[in-house]
Amino acid sequence: MSRTQQAARRSSVSSALARDRLGVPAVLSFVLAGVAPLTVAAGVIPTAYATTGLTGIPAAFLVIAVILAVFSAGYVTMARHVTHAGALYALITRGLGRPAGVAAALVALLSYSFLQVGLYGALGPAAATDAATHLRWHAPWWAWALGAWALIAVLGLVRVEITGRLLGVLLSAEVIVIVAQTVLGLAHPADGHLSFATLSPAALGSHGFATFGVLAVVAVLGFVGFEQAPVLGEETRHPRRTIPAATYTALGLIAIVYAGASWAMAAHNGTGRVVAAATAQGPGLLFGLSGNAALNQAAQWLFVTSLFAAALAFHNAVLRYSFALGRENVLPTALGRTGGSNIPKAASLVQSATGLAVIGAYALAGASPMQDLFFDLGTTGGLGNIILLAATSVAVIAFFARDPRGENSWHRLTAPAMAVVVLVGIAVLAVQHYAALLGVAPSDPTAWALPASYAVVAVAGLGWALILRTHRPAIYATIGLGPHAITRQPAPAQEAR
Amino acid sequence: MSASGSSRVPAPSLAGTGRLADDFYLMAHHERTGRSLLAPRAAGFGLAGGLLGELILADALDIYRGDVVIGPTPPGDALAATIMGQVAGEATRRPVPDWLAFLSRTAPSAVAGRLEQAGYLVAIEARPWRPSRWVPSDPDCAFAPVARVKAALDLTQPADAQTVALAGLAAACGLGARLTAYLPARSRIRMEQAAGRLDADLREVITCTQATVGAALLAHRL
Repeated sequence: MSRTQQAARRSSVSSALARDRLGVPAVLSFVLAGVAPLTVAAGVIPTAYATTGLTGIPAAFLVIAVILAVFSAGYVTMARHVTHAGALYALITRGLGRPAGVAAALVALLSYSFLQVGLYGALGPAAATDAATHLRWHAPWWAWALGAWALIAVLGLVRVEITGRLLGVLLSAEVIVIVAQTVLGLAHPADGHLSFATLSPAALGSHGFATFGVLAVVAVLGFVGFEQAPVLGEETRHPRRTIPAATYTALGLIAIVYAGASWAMAAHNGTGRVVAAATAQGPGLLFGLSGNAALNQAAQWLFVTSLFAAALAFHNAVLRYSFALGRENVLPTALGRTGGSNIPKAASLVQSATGLAVIGAYALAGASPMQDLFFDLGTTGGLGNIILLAATSVAVIAFFARDPRGENSWHRLTAPAMAVVVLVGIAVLAVQHYAALLGVAPSDPTAWALPASYAVVAVAGLGWALILRTHRPAIYATIGLGPHAITRQPAPAQEAR
Repeated sequence: MSASGSSRVPAPSLAGTGRLADDFYLMAHHERTGRSLLAPRAAGFGLAGGLLGELILADALDIYRGDVVIGPTPPGDALAATIMGQVAGEATRRPVPDWLAFLSRTAPSAVAGRLEQAGYLVAIEARPWRPSRWVPSDPDCAFAPVARVKAALDLTQPADAQTVALAGLAAACGLGARLTAYLPARSRIRMEQAAGRLDADLREVITCTQATVGAALLAHRL
């Protein structure tokens, strides 16, 4: 047969495989769903202004974006060589060994769980407010939180994810609304002139290093989810290009949107008055920026859908993490089993049960949902994320120290080393000033109990790994290797041949 | 499908068509409603593994260093001939996971079409609110592969390679619970032991199928 005919036939399998694979837009959607733009813009930022009393939040977003971009340089480079949908856990295992990997896996599970359950603390009040305003239904926040919980529990059992076009539409709408609010808010600054004070790096250190640590955790909370791109690595057309492109695009987009929105809130209300305004208005701080009633209403509705989508996305992230760990016997094997339609039912139920217990506990304690459930658990989840990112950077350095694998020294050494120093510094500062972060008295138990929970699970993870090494070496040997551990094959072909 | 064509369609039998992918299809769908018991992509991977397994059992394909290559025997039916043509048409050898991914796209409709021609499935036309689907023509014959595997797991005599491969493939795709339901716990162990005694080629296809299904689930694409 002729050369051209051969060439056409040669590519038939490649092109067929390529058609099924994901491109940057799909990966970006997946990442941004977990990031949930409006959840942060209307949920985290006003609560952060009110709780911490600090005004340097816009500057923090910009600085953290740069730090996370430097982190990503090493992260996506190592992710090319280690394909495993467990992402951070797999990289830490391959770089630092299995005991560290198991500890990291449990820290990750706890961190994502905090984030998921914390969302109910915002979803409940937001839904309650909308229902009271439009439907004249009056119910407490926890009733709405439980309703959302029940819906997510059911969706998790029938394996429904908000994916594809619907997710893309929701995300685009959220970003458009935030940008519109930002622009209109900036167009009407307090006292008639636009202040750049909150964008300046000087705002980061208004009360010394403590300020920076606290602001950094809040800013990282806005970015959590950006590290999920490598989860889809095997499913992309050109992972060497797609994963870094999606990661850096997400970082840039998030930074601009959040820095812009938080700056608009401060500029519109006045730098000296934004904290009081945030305390009074909560999410209304964003909704009221434009002064346009229709835009405000759209923003409020999208806030509820954003929270719901994020809660569902994190539910799926947690249950798949538990499933992956159950399959590798790091967690009970029952979590690693699927039922009909390949649904990891046990993992989904466990995550749902945890959510129910926490919502119930906070409701019975009469705690403030936005403050105690959403912000406290959310920022603790953010702290866990910082710890994991720092550990991952160390793993990157260790991994490439054994074998450079043709990567240049910026990606395998310099960038991760810078990331480690900064991230560890942030984590230390944050833990030292955790009471300021949570806005509680230093003697409050949550100020040490929440960060300490990570130490507890990390130690438990180390201990469990050592037990496995001694008593079940066959299981120990497969930790962190992922589903392809049972074969000798590489993952299916991705680059076009 | 039409009444005039039914006289030419053979009647199904409890012994099945004797083909691995056909048995897997029947096992992976409800014996009365025809509803899939697996996620669509998982069923696709399983059927792709079944087709590769069929051709390996017939010596029409081999696995050489992880890659799928043409074997000495000519294809036994049209679908086998199509697959072998696709394998032969690739300029470079491709590993098993590539073929699982490639065949998974067309395997469900191809195998269902083959079963329809053999009289095991009846096609139900599409309606505005749902696409066309296949329903078993005889529920007992549709359930027969499950019964056969259960019998093989329960008996003390060794089972033939095709039945063991079917059990292994089903377990790899998430149907293990259906097979070992109502059987004692040692059946699962027997299944793993028997799967370990299969030819290396079949074992390779089954483990690759299991890995592919697992990876797709973790990547949120199942």
